[in-house]
Amino acid sequence: MNSQKIDTTNLICGLLLIATGIFFALESLDLELGTALRMGPGYFPFILACVLIVLGGVILFQAFRIQGEAMGSFAWRGMLFILPAPVIFGMTVRGLGFVPSIFICALIASFASQRMKPLMAVILSAGLTVFSLLVFSYGLGLPFRTFGPWLGY
Amino acid sequence: MKILNAVLGATALAALSLVSAVANAAGYPERQITMIVPFAAGGPTDTVARLVAENMSKTLGQQIVVENVGGAGGTLGAARVANADKDGYTVLLHHIGMATSDSLYRKLPYKTLEAFDYVGLVTDVPMTLLARKDMPANDLKGLVEYAKANKDKVTVANAGIGAASHLCGMLFMSSIQTALVTVPYKGTGPAMTDLLGGQVDIMCDQTTNTTKQIQGGTVKAYAVTSPARLDVLKDVPTVKEAGLPQMEVGIWHGIYTPKGAPKEALDKLSGALKVALADKNIGARFAELGTKPSPESDATPAALKAKLESEIARWKPVIEAAGQYAD
Amino acid sequence: MELFHNLALGFSTATSLANLFFCLIGVLLGTLIGVLPGIGATATIAMLLPITFQLEPVSSLIMLAGIYYGAQYGGSTTAILINMPGESSSAVTAIDGYQMARKGKAGVALATAAMGSFFAGTVSTFLVAIFAPPLTTIALKFGAAEYFSLMVVGLVSSIALAHGSIIKALAMVALGLLLGLVGTDIYTGTPRFTLGIREYADGLNFVAVAVGVFGIAEILRNLENEQTRSVLMSKVSGLMPSKEEFKAMVGPVLRGTAVGSILGILPGGGAILAAFASYTIEKKVSKNPQEFGHGAIAGVAGPESANNAGAQTSFIPLLTLGIPANPVMALMIGAMIIQGIVPGPNVATEQPALFWGIIASMWIGNLMLVVLNLPLIGLWVKLLTIPYYVLFPIIMAFCAIGVYSVNSNVYDLYSVAFFGLIGYVLSKLRCEPAPLLLGFVLGPLLEENLRRAMILSRGDPMTFVTRPISAGLLIFAALVLVVVFLPSVKKKREEVFVEEE
Repeated sequence: MNSQKIDTTNLICGLLLIATGIFFALESLDLELGTALRMGPGYFPFILACVLIVLGGVILFQAFRIQGEAMGSFAWRGMLFILPAPVIFGMTVRGLGFVPSIFICALIASFASQRMKPLMAVILSAGLTVFSLLVFSYGLGLPFRTFGPWLGY
Repeated sequence: MKILNAVLGATALAALSLVSAVANAAGYPERQITMIVPFAAGGPTDTVARLVAENMSKTLGQQIVVENVGGAGGTLGAARVANADKDGYTVLLHHIGMATSDSLYRKLPYKTLEAFDYVGLVTDVPMTLLARKDMPANDLKGLVEYAKANKDKVTVANAGIGAASHLCGMLFMSSIQTALVTVPYKGTGPAMTDLLGGQVDIMCDQTTNTTKQIQGGTVKAYAVTSPARLDVLKDVPTVKEAGLPQMEVGIWHGIYTPKGAPKEALDKLSGALKVALADKNIGARFAELGTKPSPESDATPAALKAKLESEIARWKPVIEAAGQYAD
Repeated sequence: MELFHNLALGFSTATSLANLFFCLIGVLLGTLIGVLPGIGATATIAMLLPITFQLEPVSSLIMLAGIYYGAQYGGSTTAILINMPGESSSAVTAIDGYQMARKGKAGVALATAAMGSFFAGTVSTFLVAIFAPPLTTIALKFGAAEYFSLMVVGLVSSIALAHGSIIKALAMVALGLLLGLVGTDIYTGTPRFTLGIREYADGLNFVAVAVGVFGIAEILRNLENEQTRSVLMSKVSGLMPSKEEFKAMVGPVLRGTAVGSILGILPGGGAILAAFASYTIEKKVSKNPQEFGHGAIAGVAGPESANNAGAQTSFIPLLTLGIPANPVMALMIGAMIIQGIVPGPNVATEQPALFWGIIASMWIGNLMLVVLNLPLIGLWVKLLTIPYYVLFPIIMAFCAIGVYSVNSNVYDLYSVAFFGLIGYVLSKLRCEPAPLLLGFVLGPLLEENLRRAMILSRGDPMTFVTRPISAGLLIFAALVLVVVFLPSVKKKREEVFVEEE
């Protein structure tokens, strides 16, 4: 809603797409391009990257013409707790083992919401851990180590 | 708080049962063993692994769980095992790719000959050289002549770099000293579809994938790469009989542990493998796949070590001649 | 009359008490794992393979097949309820199904999916029985050039998937295509865009990408302005569709069944396209295309029927050629081999009881799904009344387990987080995830078949127009383009466009 009537959403969108396109284009240029008749590994992605850059450009251009609604607020707290949850599960599942790892994963994710109380989070995570252990490890027989080498097993 | 108590109780119970399970037995194996298969579930290697693991579990008295760690031509799974605990509870069932990846990959995260201990050979799956149903040639000699005369036109399908069909295709071309047009696919399924549909001309693949197609008459088989004819494909000559003895090759499978596993574990695993390979049921299943269990003398660490060393040496020049690497 | 004889044999096999039991187990298990987000049929069937050692071959295959279509069905349930598709086909269902759920029509959406699936399942079961052998010859006619042209049709149609800016949808398809190319180039073995990480050598995991851009992004959206926003939905209305809704379903279900049955036969990628294609068609023939993306019932009924019909007919190449059309079928082959049956052209003649038993069990399984799930819909919908802040840690945990179980690859979990972020940012930028996912699925296939076609034709690009099926598909793609840009349609689209922007 500023005076120059620039749609920030499309501005950012266009710039991001162009940047992504340039990244893929540069990476493709490192690969062998080949010719249209004998395409190398870089040929097809290079074309696609160029298409992406052009489309990003069009969106950027539109940002100066059409006004859209504002982006709204970001879920910073959500991102801070939700996104690390699978990463931490990944980093600990082989070391700590399935049980501690899934407990930590659920616990971290719980705190993404302001409504979650600490005690509730612990109970929920513990219940979830037991349920997962029963269903996935025993029921479905997933080959997970229940407790990992970091804990001395 | 009733729920909380119940949950806590259940957790404690689960933990307790685990602790007691660990403390129970003495001597290897005292808990479940993980067998890593470096390919997707359902494939031929996975099938071999599951058949063998099931029988070995009975002998060892502990469950062997098959875990599929596919990716990067089997090297991801092998790397996982190379870095695993050296306690004998993680084993690897890998095929000929163990040897060829040493040349196909220039940046392996482990040293093939130094990172593993050996349990034994499991089986040696023969390959079959196939062509589309309407291929004019009627024997291997004719096929070679046809290929040489039309070398710009004849296409050879394979299931991707490092796949059995890729290795066998390279071997075929180096044996007849003619470079044909290679057409890679993602997996055996689509490659076989195109061979059935006559879109490509030649493919060489494991009997596991080809036996039924040959019996059903949907493709033409020219030779098997084993030293003797196969019971399930009596009419198909061996490569030696057909005049290309240098194409004798098999997709051999072996079981490994990380280097430094306890002697007791290796002995017991090797012993269980011998029992499994002598089992009538396994023999019958392997026969349906067009292969047979390795003889008892090969289910030993020494035999597998020798096989790995000789195969690395054999494939190095073939792969370097093709000049194609997987990384 | 051989057909009736065969079907009678099949039904007598499939209705034995033991086989009915295993069919039920399979369907139940499949629905269960389908409902748990992230865990797909592939992982479950892989895990259950060892159990099938102990069973009769027919029973074990009937059970595994039950898991497969049960999971297809259960996957749609999560797609509708929490926007978390477990398989590529249910990604399409999520578009309109989830919007219906947000409007309090979760029950109707689920019932529509169930009934559409059952109808499609019934029809395609008979198709499998009647046409299995002749249909395979069509599949065999498809070479690289035909697949390439088919993918082009898919991409052109993808414009319809967008309900916002066409340019953005195209950009999303391009981005998806590029992401799909991550991994080893199969022609040269060169790793592409893997940033030197070997774990990505086989490409990004589909489940990880889908769970990220759809599910995680949705959780993040729900966590915005938590204080002010009410949770998910206020009330859930009845389960049974109204008369008007029934009427609106009939056409989409019929068309979806036809599209799904045809595309399902093609080995490799055909079945993936079915749901996307059906959505495109529905949006094209609809009188109210602007409803799509905002909870159109046709957008659930069509793709769901297509996806189920495709799931059924993808057994045709498996049973008649021994060639798997998708990873689940590859696992079925594994299961058959373990049982001592090597699938191939002879299975129908050598093992008629097995062959026809499986076909008959498909219909029985579909019947069981409807009977079981119509009452269960109430239960699934109840799940939504769980407060959201309790629900999403559970979703996160199951996602983590599900994604990790596919290949025991921790990098897949890192992809989930990364694509969750991407999906969220894109949604903030008013970009749709569905075209991105379509591009992601088609990317490798498109390039692979383009390059293969060029190799097979020795570098002659005319191969795409001289081969009749390929040429036909390309003409069809051109027609779709023309229709999209015809004045009247364009005008209608612009109305939608203006409304969106």
